[in-house]
Amino acid sequence: MSPLESLREALRLLRAQPLRSSLTLFGLVWGTAAVIFLLSWGVGLRSMLDTAFQRAGKNLVQTWAGKVSEDFSPAVDRRWLWYTQEDVEALRERARELDGIAGETRRFAPAAFRGRALSLEVRGVEPEGEAIRDVPLASGRLITREDVAQSRRVLVIGHRARERLLGAEGRVGSWVRIDGTSFQVVGVLARVGTQLARDGAEIDDQLWVPLSVHLALWPNPWLPVDMLSTILARAKDRDRIDAAESEMRRVLADRLGVPADDEEAVPVFSPLTMLRRIPIDQQNALNLLIALTTLLVGGIGILAMMLDSVQERRAEIGVRLALGARRRDVLLQFLWEGVAIVALGGALGVTLGTGGALFLASDAFRSGIPAPLRDLVPVPELSAAMVLLAVLAMGVVALAAGVVPAWRAARVDPAETLRVE
Amino acid sequence: MNDALIAIRLVDVHKRYAVGANEVHALRGLDLEVGRGEYMSVMGPSGSGKSTLLEILGCLSRPSGGRYWLNGVAVDEVDADGLARLRGEAIGFVFQAFNLLPRMTLLENVALPLLYRGVPRAARHERALAALARVSLAHRATHRPGEVSGGERQRAAIARALVNAPQLVLADEPTGNLDSAHGREILALLEGIHADGATVVIVTHDANIGGRTPRRLAIRDGVIEADVRGAA
Repeated sequence: MSPLESLREALRLLRAQPLRSSLTLFGLVWGTAAVIFLLSWGVGLRSMLDTAFQRAGKNLVQTWAGKVSEDFSPAVDRRWLWYTQEDVEALRERARELDGIAGETRRFAPAAFRGRALSLEVRGVEPEGEAIRDVPLASGRLITREDVAQSRRVLVIGHRARERLLGAEGRVGSWVRIDGTSFQVVGVLARVGTQLARDGAEIDDQLWVPLSVHLALWPNPWLPVDMLSTILARAKDRDRIDAAESEMRRVLADRLGVPADDEEAVPVFSPLTMLRRIPIDQQNALNLLIALTTLLVGGIGILAMMLDSVQERRAEIGVRLALGARRRDVLLQFLWEGVAIVALGGALGVTLGTGGALFLASDAFRSGIPAPLRDLVPVPELSAAMVLLAVLAMGVVALAAGVVPAWRAARVDPAETLRVE
Repeated sequence: MNDALIAIRLVDVHKRYAVGANEVHALRGLDLEVGRGEYMSVMGPSGSGKSTLLEILGCLSRPSGGRYWLNGVAVDEVDADGLARLRGEAIGFVFQAFNLLPRMTLLENVALPLLYRGVPRAARHERALAALARVSLAHRATHRPGEVSGGERQRAAIARALVNAPQLVLADEPTGNLDSAHGREILALLEGIHADGATVVIVTHDANIGGRTPRRLAIRDGVIEADVRGAA
């Protein structure tokens, strides 16, 4: 009995009772498809979240000056704290886990272009900060060290801010008035997309000017210091994000003269830490478990069908044994039949699972999703390992569903089945 | 008798079955020698043990006691795979219920014993077709058992028994499910096989069939009651 003939026999078995066969196969097909689809979806979801959380900046670690918390100070002395460029310099000098350290200021200000006026978030930036944001340019250039040093009134504009403020006419070289001061547009940022972590307006809605210009234009009305809104840095190693956070807090707390464990005085924030709080791996593991269970249930259906088939075909088994079949031949025949059915269901399942994943990843599907939402719809990521896992799981099911019936078939007593009642 | 001329030798063969809590003693010390090329019938009433005898002769089950030599081979010394080989190569079966596999064509049915001998596909096809031609069924080769008459089914079953050119053909009530005209046809075929040199043993309760074989064995209650040679 060759595997090919077993396959033919398996197909006959499936055709004999189409309804039962299709219901039984469905479990197997669905289980296999679910393993592949959910795995690829899970990986895609993880990538999507990672990307969406990191759009504020790659491995970003950020701090705002807070105020001394009650735990560390009498209520009357709950001082507000602030950062200055000196704190940035100190951090640059002392940090081991962080690099790309930069100060940043921000405020909402009216911006006008040819009769259009909007209130937009204007940020004073340094090249180091721009590097952390890591946004590609659509055209022009970023703000340079010279721009900062010479306090040039130049402007880099976010993707959506450009659309809304400049419209079709505005481009690099256009002049924009911000709070009464003219800035020349030197760069237009490419679209960043929906940010799941953000430190204010989305980058797409921001206007960037040199930090020095920002500080000069909007000085602190109460104190004679150049007060920064925030300090940005990048963790050198994303796996050591905790160490990076605590280093930032330790150095700055030391500078400000507050205890290093006063999280209210030096609040440190990083999108990666937020991301880590989402139990995505646990969810994926649960999904995989459910998919494998479906596959298992499908396998049990096949097992029942094969056992039925052996019972119905006892006479046939007897005849085959009488005609010279060894028990091994019968065993292999039924084993192959079980394997053939599982392979058929598995092939359909792999096709369905990969097809579904490929469809959700296709431009045809994604172009139908509105742009802001599209950033948050995972692109399923297929890999050979997923298909391999599904095939392996199926193999286990096939063995289980084939071995028991095959073993029963091989134990049939030919004399008994051939006896005429 | 010279051993080389003996197809079947049974010495004190017993067979016991457990049927529920009871034990059935189907064969109670049978001694039998059948020469090569003999044509004989085994007769006996229902429950006499004749079917059990056929199962043992056909190596479908082993005796509970006693010894059995088939063409000089001590069957009790042969392992399970060896028995399968004996069934496939040395023995041809013809059953009352034909026992053709319903989902296969007659050709595939006839070729089945060759499949288990590892004969290549083309040769299987050729030899099965030749066997079908011998029973005048070549034109039905691609039909399934359900599409042909009872007589044709039994002829196909005989073709299947012949396809490996066995030395021993065992027929269990081969005409039991057929009308007398078709029955005669089948007997003529079995006589032809015998004429070609094979040992043929027919189990039957039909005295008309028994009467046509040169040797007639009568069994009752698991022992040989009569062993008659010559014309009835």
